[in-house]
Order: sequence, then structure tokens, then C-alpha cells
Amino acid sequence: MARLTIPAPELMHSGHAACPGCAPALAMRLLLKALGPSTIVSVPACCWTVIATPYPTTALGVPMLDNPIEATGASISGLRAAADALGLSDVRIVGFAGDGGTSDIGLQSLSGMLERRTDAIYVMYDNEAYMNTGVQRSGSSPKGAWTTTTPVGERSHGKAEPKKDILGIVLAHRPTYAATLNPSFPEDFVRKAERARDLRGPRFLHVFAPCPPGWKYSSEQTIAIGRLATDTGVFPLYEVEEGTCRITRTMNALKPVAEYLRAQGRFAHLNDTDIAEVQAEVQRSWDRLRALARSAERPWPPTLSPPTPA
Amino acid sequence: MIEVRFHGRGGQGAVVASELLAHAAFRDGKFPQSFPFFGVERRGAPVTAYARIDDRPVDVRTSVTAPDIVVVLDAGLLRRVPVTAGLRAGGLLLVNSPRRPEELAGLGPFRIAAVDAARIALRHGLGSVTLPIVNTAVLGAFARVSGVVSLDAVRAAIESFSPARQVENAAAASDGYTDVVTAEVGPIPELGPASPRTVPLVLPEDPVASRSSETLPTADWRSLTPVIDLGRCTRCNFCWKFCPDNAIEFDAAGWPVLRGEFCKGCGICAAECPPRAIAMRAEA
Repeated sequence: MARLTIPAPELMHSGHAACPGCAPALAMRLLLKALGPSTIVSVPACCWTVIATPYPTTALGVPMLDNPIEATGASISGLRAAADALGLSDVRIVGFAGDGGTSDIGLQSLSGMLERRTDAIYVMYDNEAYMNTGVQRSGSSPKGAWTTTTPVGERSHGKAEPKKDILGIVLAHRPTYAATLNPSFPEDFVRKAERARDLRGPRFLHVFAPCPPGWKYSSEQTIAIGRLATDTGVFPLYEVEEGTCRITRTMNALKPVAEYLRAQGRFAHLNDTDIAEVQAEVQRSWDRLRALARSAERPWPPTLSPPTPA
Repeated sequence: MIEVRFHGRGGQGAVVASELLAHAAFRDGKFPQSFPFFGVERRGAPVTAYARIDDRPVDVRTSVTAPDIVVVLDAGLLRRVPVTAGLRAGGLLLVNSPRRPEELAGLGPFRIAAVDAARIALRHGLGSVTLPIVNTAVLGAFARVSGVVSLDAVRAAIESFSPARQVENAAAASDGYTDVVTAEVGPIPELGPASPRTVPLVLPEDPVASRSSETLPTADWRSLTPVIDLGRCTRCNFCWKFCPDNAIEFDAAGWPVLRGEFCKGCGICAAECPPRAIAMRAEA
């Protein structure tokens, strides 16, 4: 048999309705490999609600609940309570939502779920725009990115505002576990999802999710672009467990961010000055992250961390 | 009233073709209507769009189930999608294909026209080899063989409303008009009456979807197929590990095997294969 570096069982079915080269599809496949069959997934309006349900079929080998776009956090809180009431305390409750449904429309619901210390895993797959409805900007779209609502022309130069720091918002709630995951690094992805599986309390996974039609690149480049995002420092891989930060892919020197930007049509209009600005911002974030990881000081004292539910 | 149904793949421009046709008909003084089927608008996935054209306002708003004309933007769809469903006997079937229309006669008792729109599109730099944007060349051919709209109106609609490359797209329409070939094979009946419009109402047996999506093959999404050279393969499993469609499995000895019915041809396996043992080839 083959030498496998990630679990063999497949809980995501083929025949789903994702575009060719879809990173969110690969992310679901890897996530379910880690979590196993005793899992319920709640999906709000996003690409995955279409991907999973070519009528009258399902692409998931686990139960899936379809919910409104703003309701993922509330939905998994309710699923947890119901499962516990039925004595199904070992069932893993998972929210799987896009960046718009998480960092914009579903933010209050996410915050409520984290603050209530709901014993569930919230996954945000970040394709950096409202892709299911046709590439409209979200709070998670990066500065400079072309979208249909941040066009490129005489009076617009792509998105003018920087990307929302969703993990910063999540960490302010002191979750049990939070991490960044990238399907271009499947072993790291699966290990973090397994770590989230084995902990209790609120857990949050931020998944990087390149999108060929929305980011305007050819579908075979999905993995390479994801790898570049991490190796340029645009999307560093790290995890925070009970307040302690650890970088899981260390790099002595970052690759130039231009390599990442130039690979995608959505950044084709950026000039050298724009790129230098992105480079400086990426370097600042990376230095800050490394300082946090080196520091013994935790962002919050462990004794103040609220108890996880029994 | 003339009813038209377009079949294409996401990214080829079927929806835009139906809109441009409506604009062209409007310029010719007709009352047009155009709308897409609301389904899986994914790149490569089969897409359907509708148009109606009449000399007076069109009141009907439903999907076109008994078209007078069917336009197929990708001949690969002929194998898997029932493109001629409801097409009236003696109706017109226009296909983007390099083949002679006579070779398509098996599709039914229709007037069949063929135009090599992919070649025209590439000649004008529209789209790529794997995904040529064929809609405007096909619309030019449509003007010629249907007689429903004029080429001038099609060109004017493209110049006013085409999202990009208006000059090249208008030139492609003219080439489609010139190049299209029609065949009348065997006895073609007079245009028959439309079949009664009944919309089947399919209700789910259960609110829970219990069938696996693996009952829905996605092979017809693909234009290129990965071919694995086992002589160079090292069984590293990268192709399996990175496949978003779970379309690679292993044989008993651990060699990768393509699940052809589900591969969408994204090319990730070929791009990520360390020994470069996978090549993307056009389907025969």
C-alpha cells in the first residue's frame, strides 16, 4: 500500500459542485480526514452550501446542516446543546463558513459562540471575497485586490482598505485553540485539525483558500499560490493554544511578496510602489508574529483563562 | 415567437450570448427576452440560458422547454447533456464543432448547422486553448442560419454590450457568419407544433439528501485529462494528497489511478507531481 502522510479515509465525496482547482474543496477533504465520521458540519450561505448539495445529493459523508449566512456561530452553539442533551457529547460540532459569512455578516454570531465558550470548532475558509455570488469585496479581501465591487480604473485601484485581522478578533476572546491552516501544507493542516479535534471549548481555524476564478489564475496553480502565500509571509502558519503562540513553518528569510502578487490577475494593476507597500506591511506583521512567538509572555495570563466546559 | 436554448460550459459565454442575442433582436425592432437557468454557474460546469424573440411583447416567463432553436457552445456536451430535449422536429440545432454537420445527423430530425467557433475565437485571441470564448463566433453563425436577427444587429450589440474585446468579438461574429455550414440530412419535417408545456414538479421524498454526490459524475467539466506515466511515478502520493475532487485512488500495489468520472481537469496533480510523471492531454 501507499506511503501516506495524511489519513486515508475519505469523508468528502467526489461529484461535488466546486470549480476545478478549488482550495475550499481540498480544505474540506483534509478537515474531515482529521475529524473523522463522528462530526456534524454546519454550513451557512457560501460556496460550500452549493458545493455540497448538487440536488438531491450530498457531498459529505457526515451530517450537514444548511444555515443562514449570519448564523453559523449560533447554529453550532445550538447543535452542541442539542447533542449534549441527547448524550452525544463525543460528537464534534463544526461550523464551516466563508470569510464574508464569518468576518463580516456572521461576526456577532461568531463572537457570541466564542464568548459562551461553546465546545465546537469554527472553520473560516478564506477566499478573500464573496465568491459564491460572483467576487464582491469582503472585509477579508486584501488591500489592492481587484473584485467586482473594487474595480480597477481611473477612479479605483482595487480595494483601498486593508484586510480585517480575524484571528486578532478571535484571540481577543481567549479561545482554547486558534490556528492558521493552508491546504498547500496538508500535513500541517491535518495535524492542527487533529489538535482542534482533541481539545474542548471554542476552537477557531483560519484556512487559506485560493480561488482560481476569483483571484484570476489558472486552476493548476492553486497549491503553488498557497505555498507562496505562506513563504512570502502573506499567510504565516502558526497556532495559539491557551495563549501561547507557536509558528509552525519557520523561515529565515521571506520570499519577495511580488512573487505571490504577480502570480494573480487580481493584483495585475499593482505598480512597484504598491508592491513595496505590501512588502513593508507583510514584514511588519511577520516581525510582530515572531516577537509574539519568542516571548514567554502570554497575551493573557493562563489563570484568567475561563474554564472550559466539563 | 421564436424560442432559443443555449447550452455551454461555465466560462464560455453562453449567458452573455443569450443576452447579446436579445440586444441584437431589440435593435432589429423585435421584443426579446433573455435569462439564464439558475444552477451551478461554475467554471467548466454545464450551463443553460434562454432567449425568446417575438414581434410583440413576450408575456411568458418560464424556462424554454420546447425550443425552436438549440445552440450548443461545446460539442463535448452532446455526449452527456440532453441538448435536443424538447427541440421541435424540423427545428434548428447549431453546434460549435470542427466536424461537418452531416456527421451530427444522428442527433435527430433537425436542421443541423456546425461552425468551428473555437478556431475562430483563437484566431482573434479570445480565451485560451483550453477555454476559447466562442460565444460571439457562434452568434454570427446564428444570424446566418436562423435568419432571426441580422449580422449588423449582432455586431452592433457586441460593440455596445460585449464586456471586453469588442473589436475582436465583432470580427469573430463576422467570421462565424461566413464559415457556418448547414446540412439537411434525409427528410426534414416541417416545423412541428410545440409540445404542450408541462413543468414536471419534482418534490423531494425527504427533506434530507441521502444520496451521495458520487452518483453525479463531473467528467464533462473537463477539457484536459491527466495521463500518469507510471514509469516515472515514485508513488509519492502528491497527486492524491492535493486533489480537490478526490479523483485519484491507488491500486493494490500503491500506484495512482485516475477516477476519470470525477476528474474536472484542474491540472493540480500535473503541476505538483515532483517527478513530472503526469501530463495534461486533450480528450480524444
